Amino acid sequence: MRRIRLLIAALLVAFLASTGASTAGTAPVRVRFVSLAWQKTAVEAVKEVVTAWNRTNPAIQVDYAQVDWGAIHDYMLTSFQTGNVPDVFHYESIPILDFAKRGFLTDLTPMITPEMRADIFPGAWQTVLSEGGKIHAVPYLWESLIIIYNKKLFRDAGITPPTKEKPWTWDDLQRAAKTLTKDLNGDGRTDQFGAAIGLRSPVNRVLNLSIGFGGNYFYVQGGRNVVLVGEAERALLTILMNMLYVDKTASPDGLGRGSPELIPGFLAGRYAMLPGIGVWARQSLVETAPADFEWGVLPPLKAKTQYQGSATQTLSIPAAAKNKEAAWRFIEFALSRDNMAKQALGDWLFPTRQSSIRLSGFTTTKYGWDVSTDSVRFLRMAPWQKVLGYSEWRTRLATPLMNELFANRITLDQFAERVVAGSAEILDRYR
Amino acid sequence: MAMTLSAPLRRRATTALLLVPLAAYIIFLAFPLLWLTSTSFKRPNEILVLRPTVIPKAPTLDNYREVLGPEGVVRASLNTMKVAVASAVLALAIALPAAYALARKQSRLNKAIIGWILVSQSFPSILIIVPLFLILARFSLANSHLGLIMVYVVWSLPFVLWILHGFVKGLPNELEEAAAVDGASFPQILFRILMPLLLPGLATTLLYAFVNAWNEFFFALVVLKDPQLMTVQVSLSRFRGLEGLARWGPLAAGSVIATLPAMAAFAFLQRRLVSGLLSGGLKN
Amino acid sequence: MRATAGSVQMAAPQAARRRLLGVLSLYLPLLIPVAALSLIPLVQGIWLGFTDYRLGSPARFNLLANYARMLGDRDFWTSFRTGFVWTFTVTGGEIILGMGLALLLNARVPFRGLWRILILIPWAMPPVIKGLIWRFVYHPDAGLLNYALISLGILRDPINWLADFGWALQSVVLVGIWTGLPLATVVLLSGLQTVPDELKEAAALDGASGWRQFRYVTLPLMAPIIVALSSLEFIWNFNSFGLVYVLTEGGPAGLTRLPMLFAYFEGFQYGNLGYAAALGNVMVLIIGGFVLYGVRRQGAATG
Repeated sequence: MRRIRLLIAALLVAFLASTGASTAGTAPVRVRFVSLAWQKTAVEAVKEVVTAWNRTNPAIQVDYAQVDWGAIHDYMLTSFQTGNVPDVFHYESIPILDFAKRGFLTDLTPMITPEMRADIFPGAWQTVLSEGGKIHAVPYLWESLIIIYNKKLFRDAGITPPTKEKPWTWDDLQRAAKTLTKDLNGDGRTDQFGAAIGLRSPVNRVLNLSIGFGGNYFYVQGGRNVVLVGEAERALLTILMNMLYVDKTASPDGLGRGSPELIPGFLAGRYAMLPGIGVWARQSLVETAPADFEWGVLPPLKAKTQYQGSATQTLSIPAAAKNKEAAWRFIEFALSRDNMAKQALGDWLFPTRQSSIRLSGFTTTKYGWDVSTDSVRFLRMAPWQKVLGYSEWRTRLATPLMNELFANRITLDQFAERVVAGSAEILDRYR
Repeated sequence: MAMTLSAPLRRRATTALLLVPLAAYIIFLAFPLLWLTSTSFKRPNEILVLRPTVIPKAPTLDNYREVLGPEGVVRASLNTMKVAVASAVLALAIALPAAYALARKQSRLNKAIIGWILVSQSFPSILIIVPLFLILARFSLANSHLGLIMVYVVWSLPFVLWILHGFVKGLPNELEEAAAVDGASFPQILFRILMPLLLPGLATTLLYAFVNAWNEFFFALVVLKDPQLMTVQVSLSRFRGLEGLARWGPLAAGSVIATLPAMAAFAFLQRRLVSGLLSGGLKN
Repeated sequence: MRATAGSVQMAAPQAARRRLLGVLSLYLPLLIPVAALSLIPLVQGIWLGFTDYRLGSPARFNLLANYARMLGDRDFWTSFRTGFVWTFTVTGGEIILGMGLALLLNARVPFRGLWRILILIPWAMPPVIKGLIWRFVYHPDAGLLNYALISLGILRDPINWLADFGWALQSVVLVGIWTGLPLATVVLLSGLQTVPDELKEAAALDGASGWRQFRYVTLPLMAPIIVALSSLEFIWNFNSFGLVYVLTEGGPAGLTRLPMLFAYFEGFQYGNLGYAAALGNVMVLIIGGFVLYGVRRQGAATG
């Protein structure tokens, strides 16, 4: 009796051990993917991609988590320091370069296939290229700053909007804005402004648009980074000050507000144009505009050139990630021609693959896609994006000074002087 | 005036007079809930208008459907309810004897405790998140509700301890001394004599610890990895966007739902705030 | 011999040990979690303030170099001044307005239970939405405040509250008070409950008016609560930064840059965590010193 019981026990143990062993062998690798997509269609697109992957890859299962833009920076910094990192995360090229410098990211250069290398725009690769030619993130979405305009107000004022072939210059914009600025009820106060420009976080925006004037702000002199505010840099600032305080065609509401926050006023006809708004904000416009509201997109303005500085949105693998191979396989899938296009369309941004951007979704005339997409050829990496210490320069020096300039509390000369003087001290600390 | 107002009329007049500042306070404090509730029933094209109306022209339940659905805040709210109630009760249980010691006993430990209260509340909390997480991880408490509860308890303790000790200090010594002379043991003194008198303080600090845990966002985001463990503030943050934009409809609906438990907790506890046993205590 | 709450004669060293054990047993459940989850991280954070730790680099002890740099950091001291203005006005507003509201809620008004619940709304609302809502309220064009003030004729032209160099700090202070008012009111209200009615009635019989009753009976009895609350509110308000960050990001031109916001930028945006921790240490010293001084003076005043 006892021997039988022993035998049964042994068989049981063997059975359990074998099932344990076999399930251990087939337990899928879990890849944690943190995404920033928040707009309704964007989240749907990401979920589709993740579901498609999970369905066809039982051995590697992706756990999708959404983190919001307001928390992602602190979240990633904390993750790097605690080692509790996701395997793949979605973020922006500028902070990514900083993370790469500090050693937090995996070098993806050996993993990137030649096909991907060739298909993604060189300008996009530039935004993630570190010193020494290493790549720590794959750029997959990028945005441009466009101008949204009110078609009806243009018609009523008899203004012909520019086209991709015949874009406006900044002078054209200012002239149009003058025509569009009106005091409708004769009470001495302007009821309709030609434009409203969101200047809450002015520095990135101004620096990006200054590229078109050749104003780079950051230059390399004698091996060091210096900041210069010369004619090229002053050009855009002069135009903005002009529109705010001389012609008074730009609404003061724009100070302290992000451009998308000006949409309610735009929809109510308070502003005829919203220059310098992110191309992704069209989704908000589409959702919130009344059915009969006609709006369109104007091509980027021509300064000396139509160039703009732009950052890309990227996918990266932290250096402390446990499942890098699996993570990379997912990235390849998620950034295929069609999947990348799907995510870009969902978020109302552009894909960085040349093959994706030729797809019909991006060339339709609806919602100004064709004009917006055309602006991709003007996207450049701005020099400031690679400068170590830019973050401190911006928050400590440039933002307060721009706040004062746009509030008309200091002159342009004073601004230039103080920026140049303060930059040396800050940049020196990062050498 | 030759004739003075009768007592009930005078009382009515004073009450009416009191209602004016009270109304001002209430409007000041409660107006966002009105806006939130109104927005939660609106479609996107009614939300970002220049002059929003209180009653939506085309009301919809879509926002609530989304927020009460599988991708919504229900699971997260239940999680947070569990965490918040546990932290509040635990914090109170731990702090009460300590508050008594702080208020009544003389000891060098008291000075150390006060020093700890001051330093822990003054030092930037963002700078201790990383070491705190590493400690939790070492005890395998990361990615668990238990770890979160313990951290919330410790975070609430300074306030709970400090306020309770203030309440205990406000009670006259004679009560305890009389009870001691009558032969009561310390636990009896604590539970029979002091606690009923401390009810307002207990209710306040319980509420504080609950709301603290209920509203905490960043540490929950960092500590919890599994989606099923997610707390309600993290769940709501997914509706927030960039540059002042958000998915206002679901965010408003979710916020209304997330505001209710704290209000319910107070409704439950506010009766305790009025302790009618007070007058009885002194007579003895 | 039984331990009592009062003083009982015992042999001196035995009594001292007994007392210490008694105190320890009361503190024990507190000490263990606090030591592990509060003291250790605090010590690590404080120590960081004496290193040159930057994200991604190893931390090296650099003694007082951070503090030397801090002395010359004009932006830091400006933020300190802003911090004090903010802290005093917000704390003062919370306590004074809170006391008023607590008195109102303690009085015999109809639907008192309902009002007591409604005042909690700023506290009960999810933090993620508080800043967003107030940004809406302060919006120059679509905002409630301008709409209300212009409709009432108090204002002619809309003010861009959060971007205005003259109004930004006041605007954020109002939000600070709004956020903290519920907790202050609740604590003060519960404090009011501990004031026995007999004492007030006795004072009334002696001919004291409502105000005198309040000043000479209620207020002194509530003193410990008020001091406890004020000191904590003072510290919390000085350390506040999340709300202001969402509202103004410290602008315009650093006018609303509170010290904690400053430390946050240093640590989390520029990656200078050692320096940020040093800033934290200095804040602890200054604020802690302030509160201790205030509490001790209050203790001396009440005797």
